[in-house]
Amino acid sequence: MKLIKKGAEADLYQTKWENSKAILKIRKIKKYRNSSLDSKIRKQRTIKESQMLSLVKSYGIPAPLVYFVNLKKTSILMQEIPGKPVHDLSDSKIIELSKEIGKLVGTLHKNGIMHGDLTTSNFILFQKTVFVIDFGLSQISIKPEDHAVDLRLIKEILNSAHAKIMQPSWKNFLNGYKSIVGQAYYTKITKLVSDIESRGRYAQVV
Amino acid sequence: MLGLGIESTAHTFSCAIIEKNGKKGKILSDIRKIYRPDEGEGIHPREASRHHIENSSTVLSECLQESNISIKDLDIISYAAGPGLGPCLRVGAVVARSLSSFYKIPIYPVNHAIGHIELGKLLTGASNPLVLLVSGGHTMLLAFLNKQWRVFGETLDITLGQLLDQFGRSIGFASPCGKNIEELANSSSNYVTLPYSVKGNDVSFSGLLSATKSVAAKSKVDACYSLQETAFAMISEAVERALSFTRKKELMIVGGVAANKRLSEMLKDVCTRHGCKFFVVPLRYAGDCGSQICWTGLLESQIKPGVSLKDTFVTQSWRLDSVKVDY
Repeated sequence: MKLIKKGAEADLYQTKWENSKAILKIRKIKKYRNSSLDSKIRKQRTIKESQMLSLVKSYGIPAPLVYFVNLKKTSILMQEIPGKPVHDLSDSKIIELSKEIGKLVGTLHKNGIMHGDLTTSNFILFQKTVFVIDFGLSQISIKPEDHAVDLRLIKEILNSAHAKIMQPSWKNFLNGYKSIVGQAYYTKITKLVSDIESRGRYAQVV
Repeated sequence: MLGLGIESTAHTFSCAIIEKNGKKGKILSDIRKIYRPDEGEGIHPREASRHHIENSSTVLSECLQESNISIKDLDIISYAAGPGLGPCLRVGAVVARSLSSFYKIPIYPVNHAIGHIELGKLLTGASNPLVLLVSGGHTMLLAFLNKQWRVFGETLDITLGQLLDQFGRSIGFASPCGKNIEELANSSSNYVTLPYSVKGNDVSFSGLLSATKSVAAKSKVDACYSLQETAFAMISEAVERALSFTRKKELMIVGGVAANKRLSEMLKDVCTRHGCKFFVVPLRYAGDCGSQICWTGLLESQIKPGVSLKDTFVTQSWRLDSVKVDY
């Protein structure tokens, strides 16, 4: 088993499952966290992520297949997607893919799912298909406010990590999103995004 | 190069003098007077500004005396122009303007939050860090990119400082309450489940505040302990997410809450796991002080001649990610 990434909440190992390449995602104990809080978080997120990975596939969202879940070790064994995170692609490619990402997010929201961690590292491009990963913070939710939180996060990421291409990417993202959820819901959510931003610290006040 | 910096954004009125030599800065003096509200109460902007007015001349003369510098020797004057409480900001600005126009010294308005970061970099030697700014006014994760500090995560409602202060006041402490809460927390290890709200790289504390207040009705120590554990774990997770996303190899923590030992301990553990260096601003310079303003003004003066008096504004809401950094 080879460690391939130390993520924020889990370690990822490359391994095998019935002769096909697989990823083992282990949420390891975090010493800094109070132990009862820590085990609760790790367990909840492991359950949530594995359920959600299976659920979203039924809505046509490309996501890794879940092979095996070990609740005791808070680990998930899943299909490896051997592509590249959108974060690492060229600026022009990110701008282009933003529309597809918008569509994927729209499809999630339309089916009552908020992803909870929409960053450009959580979309993987593999053979012309964009896969969505990392559902640890996702929730079943039809609340427009939750969906707006999702959009605000990806906007924040574009505005910081991809500041140079923020405008065209965000425009493409919104167009993709709108094409799935429809004009009325789109207007409602973007209005809520501004509301959330205005609640932020030292946001422009009149 | 000699600079005078004036800080008056919230409860602290402070003047500091720094001597700048190339990239090095030496703090010659940093004098502060801090407004203390009554127990169970927060900062009253009018009362705080009155406190600043009454203390401004003493603080300034002590600052000059300690550094053994005469006003005429100063090359520049900088003041905190925001973000902060309007009435308080105006006091610092008036002092700076008067000195600048009377002695004909170039004047620089400085963003208070940038001040925290720049002073932190000077004192810790961090070169390209992910910055965690935690204070009464800010809870933000920042990284420098294309001449601006970019926000990678922040609180969606109240700040970590406000969370601690508002809870502390509800159990009878006077702001700032961080230290009192830390002391009480140390005498408990009984964790009561509280709402844990991390949204990507962002956090939200308002639900946690209400829930902790109801726990305090049963046990104050358990409430303090559980509050710290939950809030700091949330911050640490947001830091981990931002570290793994930005792939930075340094973490620097600045702002008043940087003084909390439990928070540092948690973040140190995070840094070990991600193989990154950990920098904490020295305790004495964690909170608001003139040095942060002075040093940022000195950095600005490398590329700008200062502003004319009519442009010496104060702005209560001045987000640091809107500031262009050219030096």
